[in-house]
Amino acid sequence: MRRILIIDDEDDIREVAALSLESVAGWQVFTASSGADGIRTAHAERPDAILMDVMMPAMDGPTTFREMQRQPEIANIPVVLLTAKVQGVDQRRFAGLGVAGILFKPFDPLTLAEQMASTLGWS
Amino acid sequence: MRESAQQQSALQQLRQLDTLKDEFISTVSHELRTPLTSIRGALGLLSAGVLGKVDDKAANLLRIASSNTDRLVRLINDILDLERMESGRAPLQIRRCSLRDLVTQAVDTMNSMAQAAGVNLEIVPEPAETPITFDGDADRIQQVLTNLLSNAIKFSPSGSSVRIRTGSDGNNLVLQVEDSGRGVPPDKLETIFDRFGQVEAADARQKGGTGLGLAICRSIVAQHGGTIWAERNDFSGKNTSGTTVILRLPRHMAAEQAAAALAPPECAILVVDDDPIVRQLVGEHLRRNGYQVIETSNGEQALQIVAKQHVEAILLDLYMPGLSGWETIERLKKNPATAEIPVVILSVLSPSSRTADVPQLVSTAQGWIQKPFNESLLLAELGRVLHPGSGPGRILLVEDDEDLATVVISSFQNAETPLGVTLEHAASMAEAEQICAADPPDLLILDLTLPDGSGFALVDWLRRQPKLRALPLVVYSGRELSEAEMSQLRLGPTQFLTKARVQPRDVEDLVLAMVRHIRTPTGDRA
Repeated sequence: MRRILIIDDEDDIREVAALSLESVAGWQVFTASSGADGIRTAHAERPDAILMDVMMPAMDGPTTFREMQRQPEIANIPVVLLTAKVQGVDQRRFAGLGVAGILFKPFDPLTLAEQMASTLGWS
Repeated sequence: MRESAQQQSALQQLRQLDTLKDEFISTVSHELRTPLTSIRGALGLLSAGVLGKVDDKAANLLRIASSNTDRLVRLINDILDLERMESGRAPLQIRRCSLRDLVTQAVDTMNSMAQAAGVNLEIVPEPAETPITFDGDADRIQQVLTNLLSNAIKFSPSGSSVRIRTGSDGNNLVLQVEDSGRGVPPDKLETIFDRFGQVEAADARQKGGTGLGLAICRSIVAQHGGTIWAERNDFSGKNTSGTTVILRLPRHMAAEQAAAALAPPECAILVVDDDPIVRQLVGEHLRRNGYQVIETSNGEQALQIVAKQHVEAILLDLYMPGLSGWETIERLKKNPATAEIPVVILSVLSPSSRTADVPQLVSTAQGWIQKPFNESLLLAELGRVLHPGSGPGRILLVEDDEDLATVVISSFQNAETPLGVTLEHAASMAEAEQICAADPPDLLILDLTLPDGSGFALVDWLRRQPKLRALPLVVYSGRELSEAEMSQLRLGPTQFLTKARVQPRDVEDLVLAMVRHIRTPTGDRA
């Protein structure tokens, strides 16, 4: 059973995404509402992967990711970004980061787990 | 002088309006998607019975809510797509395409929808012996095809066929999608291509379309220099009707069209290679590092492009059909207008080879990259060619906030700087101009959060100085910039950073990476 950390400042999206991964894929889910919180939880729980929103106040997705990369205990956890920003220029920003993948909002709750697994190369 | 100032001001206002519009659409699109994510997620889960079975009536209502949410999402996507295309913010990625492959792919994509509707998709084979190829943006043409097929399927009765015919008439390819639906009334044949110009108001609701599909198709086809129109079918002797949508595209783009479609920027690198994979790879490496790129597959077009616009450097393949690399560089160097453009040879041949006139090429060209290459080699050689010079790299930081300047400067001083860069500081635009005019730096870090927008003015000034036009630039801004704003701020390889999103250390990492591309350790050639 996979263990996933979801980081998103929007309560409703956290809830729906968590429910999707839990009930459709049977994965275990932890949530965090900010980049800082997410980093703490990543250390505490060492999830198999992190699903992270891009636009968040204080520390956004890319900044949080870079910070995670500087912390050896969590630097190897693959990160999938979740974003509503679908314009080309925005995607280019993410291209050089080194995240495992990018998924777009709105997502299909019935296939979110499948999409994540596919991006991460899980069977 | 006064007139010119007025013109400048009017131009500035237009740019600001353009930027506002661009930002507005981008922000609205993002803001709409966020609540829709929760709605779609919640409805999808409920509807699928994930939280327990729901009775039929409830299930039906959920289905209605869910499918309309999807429709809203498609609408937002289409609006954004159409707006970006029509404002020129979505330039085409032109490659040589195979019509047959694109049609087959489109049919594969739409097969399940067709089967569900009981409609048969039939490809009528090309009469031509050799497959029809053309220059176009494969993804966009794919978008047109699936759109046309989707319409045809939606309006076809069960048990009927939708036929796709392909052919060419000399210089154009012709594609027809034919259905046997109820047909479009003659007075609506043109208006269906307008935004929200569906035949009947009920169509949007019943068929789930957004009303923008054909408008988007028309926009894409127009960008390719083609035309699209609809005709009623006249099946003589039969009692059926139906519509045929016809699309005609030039197979080969004229050089101007190709250049225009690629939205040529002011300060670009021209990549000339007949292998589309090489072009794509090089293009990706360069763009990722802030360069603007123009691609072409042949020498003739390369010469036409440089005749019409300024390029900073040319990456030139040697073995190409038509005008070879050898002939192309000869012509470039013979023409005084283009002789000064640095040329970097991109070839499987080694620069130390004694065959194929290589020694002569080595002395004519300004640089050489042997295939296969990697990203660092490509950038190092290009950087070396574009920014000749030696000694430690000089970086100019343009920052009027003293505290911030101190932070950046000290982070550079404390960092490892194996190449030894020197960092200068200008606290105002005037000071920056003075320094740049006296002794051009190798790289500029520009803080854009200045109240009067004079960062833009500085970049405009720099762009007018021949020695500074291709200056590598790191723009450091307080908020995310729109594409329009970014295109106004580009000089040479330009990178954009947003303050809230980066630490000073990121700026330093990036700047050092860029300087490494300009300066190799003294005595070495990259």
